[in-house]
Amino acid sequence: MSIELLVQALLNGFGLAMVYVLVALGLTLIFSILEIINFAHGEFYMLGGYITYYAYALFGLNYFATLGLAILTVGLAGVAAERLIFHHLRGRALNAFIVSLGLLWVMQAGAQLAFGVLDKPVPSAFSGVVRVFGLVMSVERVVVTLSAIVLIAALYLFLRWSRPGRAMRAVAQDPDAAALQGVNIDAASALGFGVGCALAGGAGGLLAPLFAVSPAMGALPVVKAFIIIIVGGMGSLPGAVLGGLLLGGVEGLGALFMGSAAVNILGFLMVIVVLLVRPRGLLSGA
Amino acid sequence: MMRIRASIATIAMVALVAAGIATRGAAQDKTLTIGVLGPLSGGAASYGVELVRGAEMKADEINKAGGLKVGNDVYHIKLVSYDHKALAADAATAANKLVFQDKVKYIIGNAVGATCNAVQTVTEPEKVLFSFVCWGTNNLGPDKPHSFRAMLSQWEVAEPFYRWVKEKHPAVKRVALISPNDTSGKDTNTAVVKALKGLAFEVAADEYYERGTKDFYPILTKMLATQPDMLDVAAAPAGEAGLILKQARELGFKGAKGWTAGTNPFTIIGVAGKDAAEGVWSPTNINVKSDFVSPTVRRFGEEYEKRYKEVPGVIAVANYAAFDVFTKAMQDARSLDTDKVLAALTQKPFDTVWGKLVLGGKETYGIDRQFLYPVVISEIRDGKVVDIAQVLPAALKK
Repeated sequence: MSIELLVQALLNGFGLAMVYVLVALGLTLIFSILEIINFAHGEFYMLGGYITYYAYALFGLNYFATLGLAILTVGLAGVAAERLIFHHLRGRALNAFIVSLGLLWVMQAGAQLAFGVLDKPVPSAFSGVVRVFGLVMSVERVVVTLSAIVLIAALYLFLRWSRPGRAMRAVAQDPDAAALQGVNIDAASALGFGVGCALAGGAGGLLAPLFAVSPAMGALPVVKAFIIIIVGGMGSLPGAVLGGLLLGGVEGLGALFMGSAAVNILGFLMVIVVLLVRPRGLLSGA
Repeated sequence: MMRIRASIATIAMVALVAAGIATRGAAQDKTLTIGVLGPLSGGAASYGVELVRGAEMKADEINKAGGLKVGNDVYHIKLVSYDHKALAADAATAANKLVFQDKVKYIIGNAVGATCNAVQTVTEPEKVLFSFVCWGTNNLGPDKPHSFRAMLSQWEVAEPFYRWVKEKHPAVKRVALISPNDTSGKDTNTAVVKALKGLAFEVAADEYYERGTKDFYPILTKMLATQPDMLDVAAAPAGEAGLILKQARELGFKGAKGWTAGTNPFTIIGVAGKDAAEGVWSPTNINVKSDFVSPTVRRFGEEYEKRYKEVPGVIAVANYAAFDVFTKAMQDARSLDTDKVLAALTQKPFDTVWGKLVLGGKETYGIDRQFLYPVVISEIRDGKVVDIAQVLPAALKK
């Protein structure tokens, strides 16, 4: 087996890992602020995909404008979900867990009714391939990966430097102390849920032209997102990036050595090992 | 006396008319419930949707014509369909519902091999006649006398298809295959590998992926490293087959492309894009607009497109034909008793949208339960599906 093939396999794995990191970051952000594991997170990803289908594929809007629209619309949908549903379940993790499962089925069934059950293809936004030292990747995937990295960096800057971002971090660390300092807990929670969902919507918009869209498209990314945040550490941005890269690398190499059918178990094996050796994840608290 | 006779005659007439109306009313009240199963959501949803639509087309046609006359009774056909998401466990649950709750004696339509096996654990002991388009080899056999395959499978299609490839495209020597990691996929690759070896092709890769996979870069990297002349997305459903072809092109594959189980090239063009789908050969598809099909199929295609705003694939046509065959057999048997209908089914060929349809397959499966009709090979050219050849399955030649 040539080195070139090994590097190509790693590149394949890393290529889309950053998009799954986006989904994972949304999930972990919502958990940190509201202590809710949102099982319907994949359905917000699916919404982003359908917005891309209608705005870009059907109405011909510019791809990046569509991406912005997907992020904004899904973010607002997230705020609405928090205000109307999850706001009333704060502090009741089990209830929120069950409601999020219910929301998953409602959104998926709603999408089936509204958009149909068949895959809807989204035309490629970019054509051509990039070849470097015998390695190949489509321009589309390069753009998607770079866009995901830009969104991750934007999230980091938002959380680190903006006033609402700092308020969200404060709520995540200690809601009572944050409230005493004048942080509006309700607003920070709604914003946190909205930003988390917006990230999923952005990921859905990024991957729509690569994979087509369908009502059940959210299942796979959300499973990957769970693996990423368990491996990387719940609530850790660098942990999510590390978890994403590890998962991508393992899956890329696994497909080469073990075949695609066996790859799916590798991520879960990684989860088992991390939970046994370092239960809080590799970079928890980072 | 004349007045009395006239009165008696009038009363008799009124009584007869009333009795006739009553009889007709009673007959029209009879309902024949037929089950349809299939994946109606998830990656293989296109199969289930076509199965249901094919069944709806035939059932509505029969109902609009006044119902199905079986012996002295006329039945209104009612369809009950369940989604099993291509999962065997869900398929068994759905089959139990159909047989024990809805009391159906006929299930006409199902897809995805493993789900057929699951359904048969319910239908065979209950003598429910079950027709499907699943490609599992062991879905037919002497131990499953109530089961029928309504569409040509890999065992009928692979050999004539690759014989044609060998004759018309001699530059193709090494073929790489990819299918879903389940019964349909394994059986398809097994049949294709057997055909390839029998025709002295080289099998460059024989790979499987999990249904629902979207990113095929990792597995394609491995497959394309074997430098195949042809990539066959064998049993992949349209959406996944489209993604494989699109990503293979991105990774630089420029060889020949086949889709042994290709059921709806129109979908593959949409998902893969015109360029990546260009040149795909499919021996399982039916192009309802082509010169190879009968006026009946063309008419079916027009009606279908008008009703569902989509061009029907082979599964819709196959299930429409299966409904046709089963309902004709009920009429021939003059009964809904499944033993009698089974006997009628296996007695003679049927005139269907496929033309003369024969039940055969004993040499492959040990029992004649496979619908046989000619194979039409199509090619995607410039975003359009063009039929380019017609070949006969070995069993039909006999």
